[in-house]
Amino acid sequence: MSRRKRMMEDLDQDIRDFIERETQDNIERGMPPEEARYAALRKFGNVTRVKEDTRDVWSFVWLEQLWRDARYGLRQLRRNPGFTVVAAITLGLGIGLNTAIFSIVNTLLFRPLPVSHPEQIYTFSATGKSSGNAFSCPDLEDIRKQSAELFSDVAGVQILGATGFSMAGKGERMWTDFVTGNFFSMTGLRPALGRFILPSEGLTAGGDPVVVFSYSFWKVHLGADPDIVGKKAWANGRPVTIVGVAPEGFRPLSNLIDTQGYMPLGMAVVDTETKAGFLNDRQDKRLILIARIKPRVTEEKIRSVMGVVAKRLSTGYPQADNWSMLNAFPLPSTGPTSEPPSGLGIVGTLFLTLAGVVLVLACVNVANLLLARAGVRRGEIAVRAALGAKRGWLIWQLLSESLLLGALGCVAGMAVGWAASRVLSSLPLHMDFPIVLDFHFDGRVFLYAVAVALFGGLIAGVVPALRLTGGDLNGLLREIGRTTTAGGHGFRKGLVAGQVGGSMMLLIVAGLFLRSLLNVQNSEMGFDPRHVLNVALNPSLAGYNETQARAFVESVLERARALPGIQSAGLAVTVPMGGNNMGAGIAIPGEVAPPGKQAPSAGYNLVSPGYFETLGIRLLHGRGITDMDRPNSTRVAVINQIMAERFWPGKQPIGEHFSLEDDPAHTLEVVGVVSNSRTADLISPQGPFFYMAFAQKPVLPVTLQVRTYGKPQAKVSEIFALINSLAPGMPLVGAQTMTDALNTPNGLWLFQLGAGLAAAMGILGLILAVVGVYGVVTYMTEQRTHEIGMRVALGALPGDILRMVLHQGMSIVAIGAVAGMIMAYGVARLLGHLLVGVSSSDPVTYAGIALLLALVAFAACYIPARRATKVDPMVALRHE
Amino acid sequence: MSTKEQRERIELLQGTLDLLILRTLRLGPTHGHAIAKAIEFRSEDVLQVEQGSLYPALHRLIKRGWISVQDGTSENNRRAKFYRLTARGRRQLEVETGKWDKLAGAIARILRPAESEGES
Repeated sequence: MSRRKRMMEDLDQDIRDFIERETQDNIERGMPPEEARYAALRKFGNVTRVKEDTRDVWSFVWLEQLWRDARYGLRQLRRNPGFTVVAAITLGLGIGLNTAIFSIVNTLLFRPLPVSHPEQIYTFSATGKSSGNAFSCPDLEDIRKQSAELFSDVAGVQILGATGFSMAGKGERMWTDFVTGNFFSMTGLRPALGRFILPSEGLTAGGDPVVVFSYSFWKVHLGADPDIVGKKAWANGRPVTIVGVAPEGFRPLSNLIDTQGYMPLGMAVVDTETKAGFLNDRQDKRLILIARIKPRVTEEKIRSVMGVVAKRLSTGYPQADNWSMLNAFPLPSTGPTSEPPSGLGIVGTLFLTLAGVVLVLACVNVANLLLARAGVRRGEIAVRAALGAKRGWLIWQLLSESLLLGALGCVAGMAVGWAASRVLSSLPLHMDFPIVLDFHFDGRVFLYAVAVALFGGLIAGVVPALRLTGGDLNGLLREIGRTTTAGGHGFRKGLVAGQVGGSMMLLIVAGLFLRSLLNVQNSEMGFDPRHVLNVALNPSLAGYNETQARAFVESVLERARALPGIQSAGLAVTVPMGGNNMGAGIAIPGEVAPPGKQAPSAGYNLVSPGYFETLGIRLLHGRGITDMDRPNSTRVAVINQIMAERFWPGKQPIGEHFSLEDDPAHTLEVVGVVSNSRTADLISPQGPFFYMAFAQKPVLPVTLQVRTYGKPQAKVSEIFALINSLAPGMPLVGAQTMTDALNTPNGLWLFQLGAGLAAAMGILGLILAVVGVYGVVTYMTEQRTHEIGMRVALGALPGDILRMVLHQGMSIVAIGAVAGMIMAYGVARLLGHLLVGVSSSDPVTYAGIALLLALVAFAACYIPARRATKVDPMVALRHE
Repeated sequence: MSTKEQRERIELLQGTLDLLILRTLRLGPTHGHAIAKAIEFRSEDVLQVEQGSLYPALHRLIKRGWISVQDGTSENNRRAKFYRLTARGRRQLEVETGKWDKLAGAIARILRPAESEGES
């Protein structure tokens, strides 16, 4: 600083010296002293400018100028509060939308799992006959030992067992992960309280009865008790000791799954379904594997080592481990899968792009506002240019103004985005599953918001800045005070046409999504979800054994039927869209599957009498499941139409037999055929499906479904009271209407989310485009006031004026709309499989949206056109 | 500053002024006015040093450490700022001169290909 100051003082002296010498030279050439001095000064030129340029050599020019321009920009913005607020809100909406959508994409794609070095965590899946990503305990041991050159450790997790947890007489359901002892040490994290599960724990079935809570479970269900460690509790009726609480936000396997408690793997026997010898049973595939990769291990190395492991194990255990290959890949932050997810990236990019289009639309509006002020600003800028400001500097100054607008928009946008992502995070999923949508803002989201704001500010500002500073500014200086025709009509028309096109594209995409949603919603589900209530019954949560559990659910069913207002009731192991789907290979006596071909398979459900009536599934032939179907009577099955047609084409299937591949001892007799109905999801092609009697093959947990006469919600408390009277202390887990149950991620939820987001963007885009059209038509009409006055004076009728202005406005809209349709077609083709029952060039959607846009745009043009017809020729002509 | 005078003069290329200043200072330390005069004189008034660029250039060179500035007394016993070539500046001058020769040669070959071909 001091050096710079000294240099500048020297410069002053030096310049004086220079001018004196020049003056002296001039005098020596014979000029009179006065003239000599002026000539010297003239020759030297603009002293201030020279000093400024020299000072720039020494200063952090950009920093100082940035600060100066920022202050100048702020003054400008404060002088026009109306403009500033409108522009900031417009940008804020665009930035907010982008931020909100990025917060979703961030959670699904970018946010790493909260463990140390998450990029080192891998997971496994197998291909081949025993394909999938579930492994048995002996598999884990073998894989861990044989892949030691790749991975420093491999751990196993049995995810999300519903465990009945009770403490001090209060029962809850706790979603529990059963983990191998090395699981916690692999995460590299420290507990919030107490300790984690130790590597030595979990090696024996039923040993080490300890539990670690998740932070949120401890906080919500246990009142954040600081002395929780060491206390006793019960898990499915077995005593356990609480040893620790995991740190906040501990979701080591998935950003979307909220596990509530952790127990050693050996404790998986608290679930009555678990066989005592599961730790040594190679067939019992229950574990997701995670591993920490060693540094500098290449993909090829992984492939070659895992290939050897797969070969060795499938040779050694051809029954249990029939693998052609074992794949190891980084654990996606959405959670364990059997293959690395791929489609998510495309959908994420698509939505971010659409949001980007909305932002650009918003920027165009702000740019138009800035251009509309051009007339006033150009005078000021011409003066500045005349005083020696360079063009680059002027551009930068104008840009800094719009960047400030971007910064204001960024603040507004973060607020909007934060609110939007809060809403999205709290969307009800209607799932009996601990899925958590935590789209919270992290550093990445903030960074994105800032980047988007910067981009928005630049885009909005660059065009006006270039246009304002371009052209003959000196000529303009002479015009100051007169009406300036700031030219650039064509350019602004182009901007607005682009805007109309962008909003057209957004609206068409939204329309296609909406049509998909309606198609799915109205598709024939094969059952009637209205008036149906689902109540989950999980007696093992109270530590019931199988006999007790069956007695319990059957008496609940019986009593529920007797309740007033209940039309019918039934039990079912799987509920449509419940995410819990069962399927089996089928063998038909006398028919041998050709070698090399897999046996045919079908989905199935286990249901009680009353099930078909309750869900409204039509019985076509034979009978349904009835009270005659007892454990010791003939095993029966009711099949759906597809199964009847596929396995017994052209025959009456009643009385035919088949068996399950994994249970060849029991033959099932077909006793009835029912209509097809949706089970796993609403869109994939339907397949063969059959129903077995719950009494003949009880599997728990089970869901009680009742059909009510009135509102189904009204019956929840009665049924809960009924359960309580039968089994006091039984955790009451989830009751929901079948209609809600359809709005799950397996059902309509994704379509609703997609359509909702697309519609929000489309509407925002439409509003922005309408404002743009209105603005530009108003502006053009005002520019033509003089001409219109002349026309009126020469005898033009109001109708002529109206037509003229409307024609001008709507021609812009038409060009934009056509461009928009072409863009929309390009985007819609990328949507491909996300669309259901509607083609990417669906004429109804395109025409409908075009009509909608045309009507709205017409209204936007009509207002200024109408105003134009009111022009008083005398006023207009005097105007100039 | 008549227009005629202007037309015969050539504005300096960006960066060449730095080179010319360094070259001028090789003859010995001198003050700003003398530098400008020297360049104009030695180029037989073809090159015109714009004062607008002289001082920023001088300060740029000081900042880079190629020249230094100190108080001195001029021929007619007036105090003035004297600019002096530093050792680093001397080396830089050699580098820049070499570069310039190459550039000038290359441009000449492009502009007058026939002559150079004829000569060879």
